[in-house]
Amino acid sequence: MGETKKILEVKNLRVSYHTYAGEVKSVRGVSFSLERGKALAIVGESGCGKSVTAKSVMGLIKGPQGEIKEGSEILYNGENILHYDKKQWQSYKGGECAIVFQDALASLNPTMRVGKQIMENLIAHKHMSKEEAKQEAINMLRLVGIPEPEKRVRQYPHEFSGGMRQRVMIAIAFACDPKLLICDEPTTALDVTIQGQILDIIRDLQKKSGTSVIMITHDLGVVANIAQDIAVMYSGMIVEKGKCEDIFYTPRHPYTWALIRSVPRLDLKNKQVLDTIPGTPPDLLNPPAGCPFCTRCKYCMQICREEMPEFTDFGNGHVAACWLHHEMAPKVEMPDLRGGHHQ
Amino acid sequence: MGRYIVRRFLEMLLTLFLIATATFFLLEAVPGDPLSQRADKLPVQSREVMYKRYGLDKPVMERYLITMKNMAKGDFGESFVYAGQTVGGLIHDRLPVSARLGIQQMLLGVTVGLLLGILAAIKRGTIADYTVVAFSVLLISIPHLIFGLMLQKIFAGNLRWFPTIGWPSGDELWFGGWKYTVLPTLTGCFSYIATYARLLKTSMLDVVNQDYVLTAESKGLSRGRIIRKHILRNSFIPVMTQLPMSVAMCITGSFFIESIFAIPGIGQYYVTAVNNQDLSIVLGETVLLALLYIVVLFITDLLYVVVDPRISMPGRKK
Repeated sequence: MGETKKILEVKNLRVSYHTYAGEVKSVRGVSFSLERGKALAIVGESGCGKSVTAKSVMGLIKGPQGEIKEGSEILYNGENILHYDKKQWQSYKGGECAIVFQDALASLNPTMRVGKQIMENLIAHKHMSKEEAKQEAINMLRLVGIPEPEKRVRQYPHEFSGGMRQRVMIAIAFACDPKLLICDEPTTALDVTIQGQILDIIRDLQKKSGTSVIMITHDLGVVANIAQDIAVMYSGMIVEKGKCEDIFYTPRHPYTWALIRSVPRLDLKNKQVLDTIPGTPPDLLNPPAGCPFCTRCKYCMQICREEMPEFTDFGNGHVAACWLHHEMAPKVEMPDLRGGHHQ
Repeated sequence: MGRYIVRRFLEMLLTLFLIATATFFLLEAVPGDPLSQRADKLPVQSREVMYKRYGLDKPVMERYLITMKNMAKGDFGESFVYAGQTVGGLIHDRLPVSARLGIQQMLLGVTVGLLLGILAAIKRGTIADYTVVAFSVLLISIPHLIFGLMLQKIFAGNLRWFPTIGWPSGDELWFGGWKYTVLPTLTGCFSYIATYARLLKTSMLDVVNQDYVLTAESKGLSRGRIIRKHILRNSFIPVMTQLPMSVAMCITGSFFIESIFAIPGIGQYYVTAVNNQDLSIVLGETVLLALLYIVVLFITDLLYVVVDPRISMPGRKK
């Protein structure tokens, strides 16, 4: 394996789902990379292709409905995982790369004891005996902060609370010390106090084992906590990406502006109405020719409807795809990011 | 747990009482009586003796009370049509025949059905899948009567591989005489194959799309392990509901198959008894079948607890 700095590099990823209505282009040319030991957040609203991107990296896009298009590249340690054979896939999934899903209740097998669901992983990848795996499963449960792990390993998922189930999912994901962890909205189904605890666990484990993390979320509060880099996705494309500070303090894309303005703030004293983004994302059965955000964008111009903008580079890896940054476009001031407006 | 069983037992008694009462009055509501056909041509005196012997001279409500009282003691009385034939004797002589046939059909049918169901689900969207589905629809649409006669004509009539009719008896009642059982078993097993193949396939396709299967795949487990440990077990829950009902049904015999192959089973006798208005036999068999179903349903409820840990026994402490 190469000693490249980048553990993961995704180039021009395109994923489609074939449905009765036609081909849904869920991901339309997404490129990003992730450095070893770092965390990247992919943010965007529901249906923007975040989860499909995550599943592609995990190798969970299944035919005949799902299809990763020709020309897409997912380089793990410099090797394209899309060309893996069956055996390589089996050691990659779970061993090199692990995933934590959003809904822990649905993601755990209801008829299998929790301990066994962790043990499976250990037996498959670390070739442990049953007894060793059981001890290790108990250790993992203790590590993610589950009290009385000796008793808990013998229980079923329905006997756990929501937060505890998500801890089990994390225990399963971390069981084989993966190099890459994908968290697909791990805290969306949890209440706020538990969200914080779960994020703390993920961050601690990440620091301890040096795992690289892709955090998929629609919650910008989660991002600030955990990630160094952010990619903002909209309608199956990345519209802006860069370092966390750059995205939060000097965002360049109108969609990112709107996204940040729609986060509730505690530091605003006036009675203000939370800003929302009107409209809905475009239909991915027939994606627009131009910028996908044009129908909802306050600054939309003629060119936006006709042609997709290229990335403009702002330095330090910060890029945004918007016609406003073209030299011929009118200068637009960044709006007040604190959001809210008086009624 | 104890209280639950007692409650279920009392419910069972009530159900049996209601079924017996309904059966009694429904049969009474049919015009004529079991003896009229034979007795009409006899002199009045002989007729009266005959009616007296079977108690048919008494008013309906009185006979109802007598019947229920005897039934509570386990005595269903003698057949109105065949002198000396009782429900107990019938069960002793004929139930084993029907049971063997039913069990053979079920073992073969359910096994093949489940295997085909798994095949269709795993190979979804391929020729194998479509073949299984088409085959199931075809088999479930052909009545036993037609299918049985067809098999009889081809394999017994034309090819002479198996005897046309008959059934092993005596020492071979439960084991042996296989060549007689092949055609009747085949005739009946196809409906099981069709039912279980479709049931398991539907259930598996539902489970395949569950998130926990995705989790299992993300662990890098082998395909075989995912199917066995994660998909199959969860797919079996609906099968678990159907299976005990099939067991109850298979023991009670099939009128058509037993008629076509001249098998001395209980299913054929039951239908004949209804035609003859043979009150005591019909009543006895109905109550016994009902009992069988209730017991089987109770076992199903217990089995759920075994298969699905999310269901716990009422009254059991955590």
